[in-house]
Amino acid sequence: MRDLTHSFKIDRDKCSGRLGCMRACPTQAIRVREGKAKLLSELCIDCGACLRVCPSGAISATTQSLKDVWKFKYKVAVPSAVLFGQFPVVITPAHIIEGLKSLGFDAVWIIGVETAMINQAIREYIGQWRGKFPLITSTCPVVVRLIQVAYPGMVDQLVHVEPPRELAGRELKRKYSEELGITKDQIAAIYVTSCQAKTISILEPAEEAKSDLDGAVSISDVYNGVLAGAHAYKENDLKTAMHEHLFSEEMFLWSTGEGQRRNLRDYRYMSLTGLANIIRVFDDIEKGKLRNIDFLECYACWGGCVNGNLTVDNLYVTRSKLHRIVSGLPDNKNLIEVAARIRYPRENLYAKAPIRPRSIKGDMGDLKERVRRVKEAEVVLGTLPGLNCGLCGAPNCKTLAKDIASGDAQKTECIFYSKDRLERLRSLYL
Amino acid sequence: MSEELFKRTFKIQSRNFDRAGENSSEIKGILKGLNLDSEIIRRAVVVAFEAEMNVVMYARVGTLTFLITDEDIHIDVMDEGPGIPDIEQAMQEGFSTATDEMREMGFGFGMGLPNIRKHSDTLKIESQVGKGTALSASIRLNSNA
Repeated sequence: MRDLTHSFKIDRDKCSGRLGCMRACPTQAIRVREGKAKLLSELCIDCGACLRVCPSGAISATTQSLKDVWKFKYKVAVPSAVLFGQFPVVITPAHIIEGLKSLGFDAVWIIGVETAMINQAIREYIGQWRGKFPLITSTCPVVVRLIQVAYPGMVDQLVHVEPPRELAGRELKRKYSEELGITKDQIAAIYVTSCQAKTISILEPAEEAKSDLDGAVSISDVYNGVLAGAHAYKENDLKTAMHEHLFSEEMFLWSTGEGQRRNLRDYRYMSLTGLANIIRVFDDIEKGKLRNIDFLECYACWGGCVNGNLTVDNLYVTRSKLHRIVSGLPDNKNLIEVAARIRYPRENLYAKAPIRPRSIKGDMGDLKERVRRVKEAEVVLGTLPGLNCGLCGAPNCKTLAKDIASGDAQKTECIFYSKDRLERLRSLYL
Repeated sequence: MSEELFKRTFKIQSRNFDRAGENSSEIKGILKGLNLDSEIIRRAVVVAFEAEMNVVMYARVGTLTFLITDEDIHIDVMDEGPGIPDIEQAMQEGFSTATDEMREMGFGFGMGLPNIRKHSDTLKIESQVGKGTALSASIRLNSNA
């Protein structure tokens, strides 16, 4: 099996084995061995839950630093809409664009037009869809990976339309290579991201195609630089800039988890944020309990991308600031429509390749052997204390039982069955 | 003769709407643990859930027996309840004897039995009015291969 790149790294030297990440992981993809966290790569869905809880700073997101970007001749930033809600209100979106340029970006691409195009594509997709409902957004890379790993039967329900950021990456390369007479390879489209999962969706796309973006830098990494650069501009110098860039209300709605609420107002729509909520609803969908829903807009972060773990400001504050920006937007609906027609006269907005379930190692063998393992795991579970203390290095007794049945762990890893284990832990932690 | 590999029996409590579907969730967990084809799992879970819901809605008490052989998955549900007077009619989409209360809770749209038939490879229903119903569905393990 191919080794997957993941959206974060665990630094073994910094890891103090405090089990927080292991307990927080929604797919039970972390074990702690000899006081160090270890990732089971094929189970990881890049949600970053581990990163949020690590007390030792041992888990860091895979984002690129600006240094990685500078090798390109022409660098274009494609900021997530979330970025614009991160700064004090006196720093307007136009200031933020100048701030990004002050970091060294040659241009900044606002995804208003692309969002309008993708909204329309999603409407058409749902209108023509003849398969199973509900359809599910494929915007959030964590949701896509969760389905690949834990709900493989639902992969076809992912909307097969690419996110606005990918479309933007493609178009900006066409535009600038033509305008500047350089090749597309000399142009970098760099997403300014609110989470590590989108970085990984660029570096290691779930559909195993090549992304139209070249990388991502995090909002938290560029924050100070943008702020410093933005301050240098006076309001008067910026007036035109705001109109040149086609911001739209829709692009901001996307980042609050409700991008399709208006777009699909005549469909039975559900906005669903937070991984725990998503898992509950997906379970209901799988057994046919949740019907009467045509479209699910899902984001792994509670509240949507505004709550991404590479953001700076609080989700509610960000939302309020975005609301304020939206109320001040000029009426540019017509401009966006015209721009969409000019930029994308004939564009394929489908995702580049179908998304398939991820194959998980250790589930092989003939049915009899698999049944034996499941039965053994149940028997073992009955002999474990059920305290889910995690001291064995597995997140709960059930997972330890499964690991034992698959031969990946020993029963003596449970402190109730081995004094040595307790002694070993004492020497590791005390 | 197919070989029995795994068997489990669940009790289904009538009118227990808040916990309805827990048995089918457990069945799903077992099937996922066995890494069966996801489409087969989906079909088995829908059959189990619908059959379970029928007991919750209409019967007094019931049992669900879940059996895996080397060839297929069996879901057998027996209940003590009012029985089904006209099985053919009950199999039609949209036919429902659900009360308003059930409909308000989002159940009873006359899709239960049709859904079970749609998602299973064999289905047998025997019912005695006033006594109860026995439903027996199976899904072949290689039917999606």
